[in-house]
Amino acid sequence: MSYWIDQGKVDALKYTFPYLKVYKYKDVVSVEIDTKHLKDFLTFLKEDPAYSFRMFIDFTVVDHYPSTPRFEAVYILFSPHYKQRIIVKSWIEGDSLPTATDLWKGAKWAEREAWDMFGIKFDGHENLVRIFLWEGYPYFPLRKDFPKEGIKEVYLPSLNERENIPSHDYDPYHTPIPTLEDLEKTQKRRIDKKNQIVLNWGPLHPGTHGTIWFMFDMEGETIKECDIILGQLHRGIEKLAEDLTYTQVIPYTDRMDYISAICSNVTYVNAVEKLLGVDPPEKAKWIRTMLCELQRINSHLLWLGTTALDLGALTMFLYTFREREKLMDIIEGIAGIRLNSSFMRIGGVRYDLPEGAIDIVEKFIEDFPSRVRDYEDLLTKNRIWMKRNREVGIVSEEDVYQYGLTGVMARSAGVPYDIRYIQPTDAYAEVDFEIPLGTIGDAYDRYLIRIEEMKQSVKIVHQCVDRLKRMKNDRYVATDNPYVLPTLQETYLSIESMVKDFNLRIYGEQAPLGEVYLSGENPRGELGFYIVSKGEGKPYRLRIRSGAFYNLQAFPELIRGKTVADAVALLGSIDPVVGETDR
Amino acid sequence: MEILGTVIGVAVKSLIFIVGMFLASAYLTLIERKFAGHVQQRPGPLHVGFHGILQPIADALKVLTKEDIVPANVDRVLFYMASLLAFVPVIMILAVIPFGEPFTVFGLEIKPYITDLNVGLILALAFGSISIYGVIFAGWASNSKYPMIGGLRKAAVLIGYEVALGFAMVGPLMMAGSFSLREIVAAQDGFFGAFIWYQPIAFIVILFAILAETGRTPFDVQEAEAELVSGYNTEYSGMKFGLFPLAEWYIGTFVLSAIAVILFFGGWKGPEIFGPLSPFVWFFLKVGMMFMFFLWVHWTLPRYRVDQITEIAWKVMLPLSLLNIFITAFIILIKG
Repeated sequence: MSYWIDQGKVDALKYTFPYLKVYKYKDVVSVEIDTKHLKDFLTFLKEDPAYSFRMFIDFTVVDHYPSTPRFEAVYILFSPHYKQRIIVKSWIEGDSLPTATDLWKGAKWAEREAWDMFGIKFDGHENLVRIFLWEGYPYFPLRKDFPKEGIKEVYLPSLNERENIPSHDYDPYHTPIPTLEDLEKTQKRRIDKKNQIVLNWGPLHPGTHGTIWFMFDMEGETIKECDIILGQLHRGIEKLAEDLTYTQVIPYTDRMDYISAICSNVTYVNAVEKLLGVDPPEKAKWIRTMLCELQRINSHLLWLGTTALDLGALTMFLYTFREREKLMDIIEGIAGIRLNSSFMRIGGVRYDLPEGAIDIVEKFIEDFPSRVRDYEDLLTKNRIWMKRNREVGIVSEEDVYQYGLTGVMARSAGVPYDIRYIQPTDAYAEVDFEIPLGTIGDAYDRYLIRIEEMKQSVKIVHQCVDRLKRMKNDRYVATDNPYVLPTLQETYLSIESMVKDFNLRIYGEQAPLGEVYLSGENPRGELGFYIVSKGEGKPYRLRIRSGAFYNLQAFPELIRGKTVADAVALLGSIDPVVGETDR
Repeated sequence: MEILGTVIGVAVKSLIFIVGMFLASAYLTLIERKFAGHVQQRPGPLHVGFHGILQPIADALKVLTKEDIVPANVDRVLFYMASLLAFVPVIMILAVIPFGEPFTVFGLEIKPYITDLNVGLILALAFGSISIYGVIFAGWASNSKYPMIGGLRKAAVLIGYEVALGFAMVGPLMMAGSFSLREIVAAQDGFFGAFIWYQPIAFIVILFAILAETGRTPFDVQEAEAELVSGYNTEYSGMKFGLFPLAEWYIGTFVLSAIAVILFFGGWKGPEIFGPLSPFVWFFLKVGMMFMFFLWVHWTLPRYRVDQITEIAWKVMLPLSLLNIFITAFIILIKG
């Protein structure tokens, strides 16, 4: 079952919009339309009941420098009714585009990002300011003519005064960094004080779990207006990826959502495998699924501990970390590294499962359900916990579609949006699990869903363990595929493998021309990779659709009229990881 | 001559009380850390001395020798005064708390309390109220947003719970017929004479009030670290900072626990199984149990939101304590 728009509908679309161009790569369907008709087309897709692409997934821009027109806008939409997906592309004439924020509120930040990174203006956008970089920054870094090392123009004389400069290529010039005035200007552009005080919450604050900068315009303790300054952890992964081979990008995906590194790994690797047409062996798929679910439990445990800590339940943190530590040890035992394991490879996994790994995982999942019961005893029926979490940050079904909320946020509103189920990758099609859904959509629902998801993950891991027991000596990486790096053993033993290894490492995986979008169900929502390949060994454009980014976007809207104490509970229930929102 | 003797006696006793309380509060921190450690399945302080027995002294040395930073834009007078205002009144409550009946050693009569006022309880309440100024001043003088919000939160909470606390204490007072803490203890005879059996509602209200007054967890909104960094003492450092938790979490909890024990659990009364020391043993045992109870609550429960706390104060606790007064009065009226 494909989850892209089917041929019949595409034909019908072509009939309504005759100037439409349709591209197809594998099963990824993208349609191209000119800028003039773009808005009408998007409205049609959204409103027409036969299509009803009501859910906003992503918006981005691809820079085709030096050809003209230069920029191509890319919308990715989802139809919750038909469970189908479509990519809408449009060449941007000049440097401005009509805004899509009146159709989907979720486009707000995505368009700001496009402005920040590419310098595309959006007519009708309510507040088109930079999102990651500071006000006054003169360049647009994701443009192809922006050098990767940055434009070094700030002279730093203090560095020059040093004697014995250690490096020969020492350069006293530096890329610009924001000054305090710049930051003040940025802050002023985001929020103007209308009420009693503006409370800065961040960039470094114990409640934000990372470097986000919240600003609350408050009347007493009631938040009247809120805005978020992102970008303190922006590392330009999308830019860096344009200069790396597909394999070299894998470690960067770890560092985005460092709490659930393996899930990001798997999603990226799946996207690349789809682009290259690599089919990993069965065992690798099951290992991936098992590790993903272990990682999901790991991530939810961290969430539970820190959220409870934020709400004052200090002991919960230690209890969850006790289990998390065991999981970390399991992951370390299998992948070799605890946090950012980079365990996945294109075409399989890095190592085979070590001896005894299955037994330890089995031991863990036998013991874990009783621990979850402990957590539930402490919190689920706790009156204070309920009072703090109920009625906080209620999201409706419409919000989910408007903002492109995914993951637990979507499911708390009762929308059964789970990528593992809509578009199963790896072994998810073969495992049996349930998707817990919320009814009200508040923080308490999200708490219940996460707890239930941990139990479901245990169920999935059980099935994986059963299957993996029977695959003891199977292959774990498809090295016979020309795109897959050979194992170390093979490299040493055969000259062909050595040459292949050399070629792949130096020139990269020469991917065919095309574009793919593939997403995975991360603990923090839908993590998607949109890869444009121009037939080189490295991605021409790698767009990362971050679940946390879009989930966080609903925060200012949800917190309006609540108190600071609710902001903690709400932020906890959204559970963003700044590494992923900023990328 | 007699006056001089009294003055010297009181001065010596005060000194003993203050120094004793300092030491005791230092070791209360150790008790808390050990307790929290075992609640959280870790050992707690372990390395300084036998099982961390010297840890409080190391902590005290650390806090005392730390650099004392005063931010540039604070209101200096209030900033300095705040930490004292939080600390001194709490320790002054000790003046009216009796630890036992007078006893004679080597022909010298020793009263294990500083003064036995006939308005002892009111004085204790008054001192408790003054200590709130410390928190509010700290919030105000810091000239910063988080402390300000923390201080105001604390003020809002305390206004509610002071009232409830005061009214809840009326029940035991009516039964004892005196404000003197000694006489309240004297009025409780035997195991079933303890007021807890007759005043359970008042006891519950007072439990809540103590949690709120001392800012322990379900009610620790004034320093909710996830929201307000560290609340009203964010800008403080060194010993000025150290005085706040010492006053609130340890001495405050200890002193209020002692008052609760006197009001409801018969103070130092108990079977004389520890020889001449048994009043003290019983008293500190009971206070210790109360203190442990608060620790248990602190390390288990999440935290309320500030409006929910004041809601409980005004909508539940105050009516309950008033109801308690009416019931007590009614029963006293019937019984004559």
